[in-house]
Amino acid sequence: MSAQERRFNPYTENGGTILAIAGQDFTVIAGDTRQSEGYNIQTRYAPKVFRLTDKAVLAVNGFAADGNMFVQKVQQRLEWYQHAHNKEMPLRAIARLIQTMLYAKRFFPYYVYNILGGIEDDGSGAVYSFDPVGSYEREACRAAGAAQSLVQPFLDNQIYFKNQLPPSGGAHPKHLPLKEVLSLVIDSFTGATERHIEVGDGLEIYIVTASKRPNADLEAIANLKQVPGGFIGGEDGEKIYVVRRELKKD
Amino acid sequence: MNAIASRFRASPYHEQGVEQDQNAQDSVLWGSQGGFGNLRAGAPPEFVVPNVPSPTAFLQLHTDDHADPNCRIKIAHGTTTLAFRFRGGIIVAVDSRATAGSYIASGTVKKVIEINKFLLGTMAGGAADCQYWETYLGIQCRLHELRNRERISVAAASKYLSNLVYSYKGMGLSMGTMICGWDKTGPALFYVDSDGTRLKGDVFSVGSGSTFAYGVLDQGYHWELSDEDAQELGRRSIYAAGHRDAFSGNTINLYHVRETGWEFIGNYDVTKMHYDGPGNIPGAPVGGYGYDARVSTV
Amino acid sequence: MSIMEYNGGSVVAMAGKDCVAIASDLRLGNQALTIATNFEKVFPVTERIMLGMAGLATDVLTLRDRFRFRVNMYTIKEEREIEPETFAHLVSSTLYERRFGPYFIEPVIAGLGKGTNKPFIASTDVIGCINFAKDFVVAGTATDKLFGVAESLWEPDLEPEDLFETISQTLMNAVDRDAFSGWGAVVHIITPEKVITRHLKARMD
Repeated sequence: MSAQERRFNPYTENGGTILAIAGQDFTVIAGDTRQSEGYNIQTRYAPKVFRLTDKAVLAVNGFAADGNMFVQKVQQRLEWYQHAHNKEMPLRAIARLIQTMLYAKRFFPYYVYNILGGIEDDGSGAVYSFDPVGSYEREACRAAGAAQSLVQPFLDNQIYFKNQLPPSGGAHPKHLPLKEVLSLVIDSFTGATERHIEVGDGLEIYIVTASKRPNADLEAIANLKQVPGGFIGGEDGEKIYVVRRELKKD
Repeated sequence: MNAIASRFRASPYHEQGVEQDQNAQDSVLWGSQGGFGNLRAGAPPEFVVPNVPSPTAFLQLHTDDHADPNCRIKIAHGTTTLAFRFRGGIIVAVDSRATAGSYIASGTVKKVIEINKFLLGTMAGGAADCQYWETYLGIQCRLHELRNRERISVAAASKYLSNLVYSYKGMGLSMGTMICGWDKTGPALFYVDSDGTRLKGDVFSVGSGSTFAYGVLDQGYHWELSDEDAQELGRRSIYAAGHRDAFSGNTINLYHVRETGWEFIGNYDVTKMHYDGPGNIPGAPVGGYGYDARVSTV
Repeated sequence: MSIMEYNGGSVVAMAGKDCVAIASDLRLGNQALTIATNFEKVFPVTERIMLGMAGLATDVLTLRDRFRFRVNMYTIKEEREIEPETFAHLVSSTLYERRFGPYFIEPVIAGLGKGTNKPFIASTDVIGCINFAKDFVVAGTATDKLFGVAESLWEPDLEPEDLFETISQTLMNAVDRDAFSGWGAVVHIITPEKVITRHLKARMD
């Protein structure tokens, strides 16, 4: 290609970071709300985390145009599934669906890093993370985006207790309580905001809880709102809550 | 190149000039027709290809790590895998690290794909390519079983995969896999890669750490190994690669393919193998694999 | 591959209450191949100042010797030990001498002031721009990861043993996410009385 040729570049990077942590009977999915391009902030509030079904929430990060379009396409496929089969897609099936949708554009990829979080059929919290062309894995926690290399090692240390010896006579807890998980999420984002220019402005956290979970620990959280759902499970079914926090705007 | 690209083109800018909406394509994909569902008459899935003069150059520009380490789309790469045939079947050992540039994206990647109860496939190169096409292979194997009332041979299964990736040759797929299974001919091992290579063999190691693994594997290998010694050899070889190669490590996943199907032997942390060794397993040495652990007199 | 990633390696320093800590990993690599697991990147300058250097290994060793020479000359001429802040400026000017053909290293300096025991940490870029940080400084291939963990784990006025835990966890968890750093770690805590050096049992992959 000669130096004169200037092809249209269909991709750009919009910054931001997303994170999801699976608990025993809940999953937390969070994303900052800043959208930037280079040194400019395009907007201080552009949501990156979206409700798919009562049990599933998808966070998208990378190129915002591809991300927003991809979420809409996934939501469309889920609606078709609901009409065709008269039930909601289970989480692991949604994960496989996302793989095939991403791989269908293997030769012109969606520049999106996806994290799917929610409640699996057996009531446990689950997090599935994807690369832009569809490879995926179920994990307990995952950070993606501009500040992923800042946040993920911190999560390794605090959620998986890596490089830490267990307290004498015991073992590390397999799952952390919701209150602690939320603190870790907020601390991760404030740390990332300090040291990465593309992260900041605001934080939006979605909490998906399993059916029949008492949810008493949610009452202490300020400004918690429930996301209206499909009411498939009724009062006893899975619920989704959202909470917003401010982050530094500089 | 254009012939291959136009075969798979499903973008709105179709040659006939008809404004084929994305929706038209999507309506075929709804419900269970989506993803793998539209495998009508055995045709491979349709792919969207960008409307540029050279789609492969476009893809390489944006995703190829080797050509430009600052490319935007970092596809997760897989790294040291090995498999060898011996008297007792096939030993398959892999590491579990995925790197995106120099960032370790994951230390828990499952690089052995369980195609069905009797067939295993390994993952090296692009993780998505391996995962997606080995799932596709699983579908083809099941269809074969239904049509022929007989389990598919490893040779046929590997040929399905090899022919499939060959049809995408030059488009940028990156896949180096070993198809392992036990069929009528005994234990069988085939190496298949995205260049179109398909080789039957006894010993293979694939990935950035393969040279380190070969060093240990070649000196310890012979046909009459006992089951435990063979498993130990597989484990020790991946440890060597995990220790020396920057892009391999984290944990070792060990499988043994027998006549009755595959068996998952265990998951071993490379650092734990370094300091403490595999523990009290038959065939394993006492103490750690690491140099310091072996020469220390403490 | 970038020249700064050729050999790999990372260094971090943190300030505490009347103490400072400086730590590095032990890897020496040749791109993907690891050739040594005992390559320390932190060197003593005086009894109370230590210098860590991340980047191209040949420059790390060369500068270790050049700084030794320059500090000796300073001590002979001034008839006193060099202060940490002065040493930081010495590092900066040494690197700027090579402004148009730089040494490929990022130095990290940690020390205690002689009379005051005031904790001092600093780092510079490849051509000598000094960063006088109050909390922590990082350098090497695992910079991003070190920033992330340190930002969340560090707090002001940590006692020496707590500072040791903090810097150790920061270094170990950060290098575990970097393909070019790791294979062992060493930590030095500088207190008014002595320097405590510990090797960490780290991941070897």
